[in-house]
Formats: sequence, structure tokens, C-alpha cells
Amino acid sequence: MQLKIFRIHKKLIEISWPQEISDSILGEQLLVKDFLWKEYGEGIREIRMGFNTLSLKLKIEITATDCDDILEEITQLPKSVKCHSFKTWGIPVCYDPSFGKDLEKLANLHQLSIEEVIKIHSAGSYTLHFYGFLPGFMYLAGLDSRLHTPRKDLPERLIQTGTVAIGGKQTGIYPMDSPGGWYAIGRSPLQFFSTNNFKEKFPSIGDKIKFQPISVEEYKNMISKPKAGIQLIKS
Amino acid sequence: MIKTPAYIHFHQPGMMTSVQDWARYDMVHFGVPYAGVMDRISMTLVNHLLHNPENAAVLEMAHVGPKMIFEMPTRIAFAGAEADIYLNEKPIKLGKVYEIGEDSIVEVKKFRRRQWLYMGVQGGLESEMVGKSRSWYPGVTPRDKVVKGDTITYLYEDRYFPPENSHSKIKANWYKESDIKVFAGPEWDQLPKLLHNRILSKTFTVSEMINRMAYQLEETIENDIPPILTSPVYPGTVQLTPSGNLIVLMRDAQVTGGYPRILQVDIHSLNILAQKRSGEKIKFSIIVDE
Repeated sequence: MQLKIFRIHKKLIEISWPQEISDSILGEQLLVKDFLWKEYGEGIREIRMGFNTLSLKLKIEITATDCDDILEEITQLPKSVKCHSFKTWGIPVCYDPSFGKDLEKLANLHQLSIEEVIKIHSAGSYTLHFYGFLPGFMYLAGLDSRLHTPRKDLPERLIQTGTVAIGGKQTGIYPMDSPGGWYAIGRSPLQFFSTNNFKEKFPSIGDKIKFQPISVEEYKNMISKPKAGIQLIKS
Repeated sequence: MIKTPAYIHFHQPGMMTSVQDWARYDMVHFGVPYAGVMDRISMTLVNHLLHNPENAAVLEMAHVGPKMIFEMPTRIAFAGAEADIYLNEKPIKLGKVYEIGEDSIVEVKKFRRRQWLYMGVQGGLESEMVGKSRSWYPGVTPRDKVVKGDTITYLYEDRYFPPENSHSKIKANWYKESDIKVFAGPEWDQLPKLLHNRILSKTFTVSEMINRMAYQLEETIENDIPPILTSPVYPGTVQLTPSGNLIVLMRDAQVTGGYPRILQVDIHSLNILAQKRSGEKIKFSIIVDE
């Protein structure tokens, strides 16, 4: 593992990996995270993730020397330990242009047909790296490079709840109304944030997401009986 | 001791009135911001004055205050921003406990100095608990700010409170500090020394873009700091944008951010910064933890 450790202050440190988004870095992050909770859990208040970072908020104060020791310890962790079993979740998306307001624009930008955009987007398997931006917003990696699209220069004032969008190298779902600079390509009828049983109803870090195209009719059916949570796909 | 629920009725909501406590730490993994009071010193003060539990929820107000009617007798105390506050049309002060009777009217009018005002109520406010906190946040709690006609619950307790003879004097001096203590953030070393000096010697002005999420500073710092991948951010994280803006994240900050994190404001200084209004000046001074 190629790691760096940075101490912001006595109770806040950050471990960082090379600047890239990959499943292998994610695997290492989870390995280190588990190790730290197991070995030093009593001293840790919170561990938070970014694409290539683990941020540790501590209960105890640590020195620069402690940091070096921790770094040495985690770089020596056996890589092969497989400690997680990941699930796959299916998210129904209606790619109708009434929801995917930017579908045509995006297709034109990439010289693809709308059907091709939908096909590429729904064929992908996406990895959940962490939640951030908004409550319930999943940072997903794995967008096909044919759909990479720079964010809009001017963010839209309102992107509606459930909107599935593309921004940069990422795709994501807006769990609530928000301004945003991503291209809207569809909408899901599911609820992506709930304050109850979040752990059971929603994907965990490392899980896979697949988008399943549905018709406007199916969308209307599902939205009329709103249910918080996403469905597991049996694999 | 029997406690019965009583209501505060809001005849005028004010502009940014909400219920806050210390913070919501237990839902951050699902992208839920900490939230919580902007100025913890003032929250601690009102709860201390009322002998409340440390984390009792308080009412936070800014810009334009509310007009409230209390259904049942209780005790209240104010701290934080200096504002014109009236109890049944008589002016009242910060840092003092007031006994109020049935149907008392409390009105907060003009804000004169500082940004955030806090009202503590005997026993704390009883708004909905989500996770381990009552702090209001859009999409997480049922409400995010008080609207006209709203009610908030407190517990009425028919008991005798000994008169408060000695009031802890409010020392408002700490707000006057313009020196904001900071630590180097993860991307600080990606800036050249020249810019380190520039940022640490410059006087910055708090811009008009200030809210519970972030305070943007007016002056810009031209830079070509390399971009980062989305990474964790906290209240107090100072981001530097490609266009040179400095953004200090506040209590409602998102849990992750995509701009380089050049500084981290010290936990005490964050309360001081929170109480600065648009146009006020600050300077950063860096501290090194041994």
C-alpha cells in the first residue's frame, strides 16, 4: 500500500492513497478501516471516507511519532485478507425525456443516440465508495468513459428528488431536491434517504449498484406507493 | 415532579429561526451533516444559566427575530448576538434568567451586533429527535426553520425556582477577537510558500455569502493548487477554490467536499468566526500541535 499520513491536529488525522478512483484502493481503505476500529477503536470517534482518503477523528490526542507508527503498522497489513462480502442492489430508473431533461443534450455531446446512452448507463455496474454531498447521496464509481461529461458551467437551481444524473466521471442519484451542475438523464421512483434502518435498506460502502430501466407507467405505479429503500438483486 | 408539554407559538417566525443542540454525529456515514448551534459558547452559557443539561436544545435566531407566545410559565435566557429583545414589551438583557408567566410575549427585533442569538428554555426545547440529536436540518428533520404559525414544545414544570442572585457576567470580549486560529489542512503544503505568507498576513473580509453551511470570504487568492478527489470535510475546514475564493465550512457543512482543504479552523475560533457579520475583518494565524 502506498500511503501517506497527515496530522491536521492532535485529534484529526488523514490517511491518503494515490489520487485515483479504484476498487483496489477501496478494498485497502476498508481493510485499514476495519483494522483501525479493531485495534484502536476506543480511541477513535469517527472514520470518514473519501475516494482516496480515510479521515480519523480521535477521542485521544496523538503525536507525530504515533502517526508514523500507525502508518508503518498499516502498510504491513496482509493484503489478501478478504473481510467483506459485497451485495448488488438494483435501482429502477425511468429514462423518459420528461425526467431525463438533459438526455438529448448529453447524447449530442457524445455523438450517441439517446438509446445508446441509456444502454451504456444501465449496462454498467457501479461501486459505492461513500455517502456525501447530501444525506443519502452515493458517490458511485464505474461510469463508462463514453459518458464522462464535464459539469455544467452554471448549476441548475433545482434538480428534483430521485433524479439520476451524470457529472464528470460520475453518475449519481439526487436523494432530495437540490441545486446541481450535473446532467439529468432519468428519475428513480425510490426514496434514497430515510432516518430509519438505513443500514438494512440501503447499500453499504463497497456494494454494487445496477440501474434497471423502467417505463413511465412502471414509474407512476411505483411512485404511488412510495417505499424507502432499495432492492437487493440476488446474485 | 410532573412535567407537562407546553407550546411556544410563533406569531412571527423570524428569518433563520431553528432548534439546534450540540450536533448530530451518528448519521454522518449516510452523508448527514453534523448541524448543531453555530456558536457553542453561547449555547453553553444559556444552558448553564438555566441549570439545563449541557446538550439541551436551544432556539437559534439571526437577522430578523421571531415573535413568540409562551403558553405556560417557564424560565428563559438569551446569549450570543446583541439584539433588541422584549418580554411583554419591556426590554430584556442577554445573560440573565427571566421568569415568564402564562401567555408571555417574547419578541426579538433589531439585531445590533454579532450574528447568532440563542434562547434557552428551562429544561430545553423538545422538538423531534432524529438520530441522537434535535438539531434541525433540511431533509433530515421534519422542519428546517420556523414558519409563521409554528409551535415548538417545551416541558412545563410546576415548581419553585430559587431566585438567581449571582448572574455569570457575560464577557462579550471574546467575540471581538479577529484572530482566527487555524491548523494546516491536508492540501496546505501544495501551496507555494509565497501563498502561505500571503494567506497568513492578509486581512480577510467576511462576505455577504454567509449561512449555516459556509462563510465565504471576500478577498481572493490567485492559485494553481492541483484539484483533489472528493474528500472528507468538517465544520471549520477552509476550502480554496480554483477561482481563488476561500470558503470556511460551518456547522451544516456537507460531510465531503471537492475543493482543496488548505486550513482547519480551531474549534474555539469557529465560534468566534460564526459571530462575525458581513463586512467584519479577520486574520488567520496558524498553530502547530506538538
